[in-house]
Amino acid sequence: MEWLAPFLQNLTGGLLIGGIYALIGVGLSLIFGVMRIINFAHGEFVAVGMYTAIVLFQRLGMDPYVALLVAAPLGFVLGAALQRVVLHRLIDAPADSTLLATLGLALVLSNVLFLIFGAEPKSIYLPYATATVTLGGVRLPVAQLIAGAITLVVIVGLWLILTRTEVGRAVRATAQNRLGAELVGIDTPRIHALVFGIGMALAMCAGVILAPLLFAVPTVGSSYTLKAFVVTVLGGLGSVPGAIGGGLLLGVVEFLGASYLSSGYRDAYGLFAFLLILLLRPEGLFGRTVKRV
Amino acid sequence: MTGSPDRGPDAGAGPPPAAPSAAPGPASRALTPWLERGGAPWLGLAGVAAAGAAWYVVFPSSLSLGIGLLLLAGWASAWDLLGGWTGQTSLGHAAFVGLGAYVVGVTATKYGLAPWWSVLLAMALAAVLAFLWGRITFGLRGSYFVLSSIAVAEILRLIAINERKLTGGAIGLFIFDLDRPFGLDLFSRHTEFWLALGYLLLVLATTLLVTRGKLGYQMRAVREDEASAQAAGINPVSVKSLAFMLSAALTALGGCIYGIFLSALQPQPLFELHLSVRIALVAIIGGRGTLFGPLIGAAMLTLAGELFRNAFAEANLLIYGLLIVIVVLFVPRGLMGELRRRAVRRRYAKSAGG
Repeated sequence: MEWLAPFLQNLTGGLLIGGIYALIGVGLSLIFGVMRIINFAHGEFVAVGMYTAIVLFQRLGMDPYVALLVAAPLGFVLGAALQRVVLHRLIDAPADSTLLATLGLALVLSNVLFLIFGAEPKSIYLPYATATVTLGGVRLPVAQLIAGAITLVVIVGLWLILTRTEVGRAVRATAQNRLGAELVGIDTPRIHALVFGIGMALAMCAGVILAPLLFAVPTVGSSYTLKAFVVTVLGGLGSVPGAIGGGLLLGVVEFLGASYLSSGYRDAYGLFAFLLILLLRPEGLFGRTVKRV
Repeated sequence: MTGSPDRGPDAGAGPPPAAPSAAPGPASRALTPWLERGGAPWLGLAGVAAAGAAWYVVFPSSLSLGIGLLLLAGWASAWDLLGGWTGQTSLGHAAFVGLGAYVVGVTATKYGLAPWWSVLLAMALAAVLAFLWGRITFGLRGSYFVLSSIAVAEILRLIAINERKLTGGAIGLFIFDLDRPFGLDLFSRHTEFWLALGYLLLVLATTLLVTRGKLGYQMRAVREDEASAQAAGINPVSVKSLAFMLSAALTALGGCIYGIFLSALQPQPLFELHLSVRIALVAIIGGRGTLFGPLIGAAMLTLAGELFRNAFAEANLLIYGLLIVIVVLFVPRGLMGELRRRAVRRRYAKSAGG
């Protein structure tokens, strides 16, 4: 049974980091489901979240977990504003145009971060977060446990909003049929702004949670954009529960692959899984059907 | 899906309806009908060659900049075969650039293969990769191809980093020695400049020939409306695959020249997402589905990059980001596309007697 403890260690590690991937992927999937936009700037939103936490920590000494209370509303306002100023003009444009617009936003964001903060890696050191808790032979870093807990709270909160409130019902209606939603009196441009705001807020929360765990560089965003794509395709494009499952799965696949196969390919396992999914089950593990030519 | 199959191939570089030309007269009078029958782009190609030669004479100290510009223009034009003429946006063309460079590097340093054989090998490998990749994604509706394109390039980058025995890992691979075809020193910037110019002209000529042929019309049909194209008896998957294979092989050819130009190959700049993004954005800003759009885009963005290099240092992709947002919002056809649309409208207005 000596294989069990390291296996459980990897499994929990994967699930905890997978929770953060899920948080990023849920926002991307929600945006795609409602607005039919593939948001290439999503990873950059995560990077903006990381730098927000770092600035608040260095200037004001604010604990990153308190900084969530600043970052989430900030992300919501920024996201809604971006939707209103840029994406709203492209609402009936071909899918390619919105994709390119978000790609442009991503380039602008990462290069502005570079101009402000420079290329050197930055991080947040929290003495209490580097401690570990041992649970049944599995060592868990406190920072990752907190990250997992916050992820859980945020996702459950989003779930309640989407399923239990009138706004959530309007969001789901817009996702199902924009014209139909407009016919029953839903202000869909406002729903779009709301959804993009929520997506950006979730991504920035993920960034804040990640700030104590790893180093931030201005180019960190593109790797999270890629992970978010993998997560959403694994779970099925546009499906919020699918994104949660896909995120957890990606975290576990990366951890197990890195420890049992080769750690150099850690980032590649998710991509292989992604290509396999496209080949075998393009609707995603939990998704609905995809149109084929 | 209400396609309009009778929407003419207005976007094409195809010859305008053949004017009832007079009997072949003296050379001076024969020129105009030749231009009207579609000779004008060939004249443009000659102009590009002349401009390249002029650069060589006027800026002998900026040959490296010129090589970079020519290669970027060539890659963007090759990208345009798939991205513009066939309408499949790829953000992974760095995969083929890196593949070309590494095939030349690995075969030259490990197996002593002559560069012309490794170039052929690289183009063949790129076409095979594109074929398999197209099999996976071209059958799916939606944005799956774009997403997969990033993933494939990233996987190749990770392979280049991790397979140290073959590629030298993150430290890289150095090309010390190459055979001299026809006594040409491939490491000389002068040779490389002419090679890059020849490469760009080859890509442009291929684009011109392909887009005027049957495949070109099929590519445009698939771009405009896959369902209608299918109804007309075109298989969209094979048309997209063919365009992708052609585009991939041409990009890899440029990658081979780039590899020799760098002669120190590292996974980071070669396979990076930034290179893929630059190739795609240069073509889109210049004008997708136009012969000279990618070249114009590459020239504009390279010069802008030089101008702002001091102001933005390494944040030079900021310009790309701002420009692409502006282009998508206000000039969705790109520079050349917009100019051509205006020219076409003026011509129709004139022919309508307005």
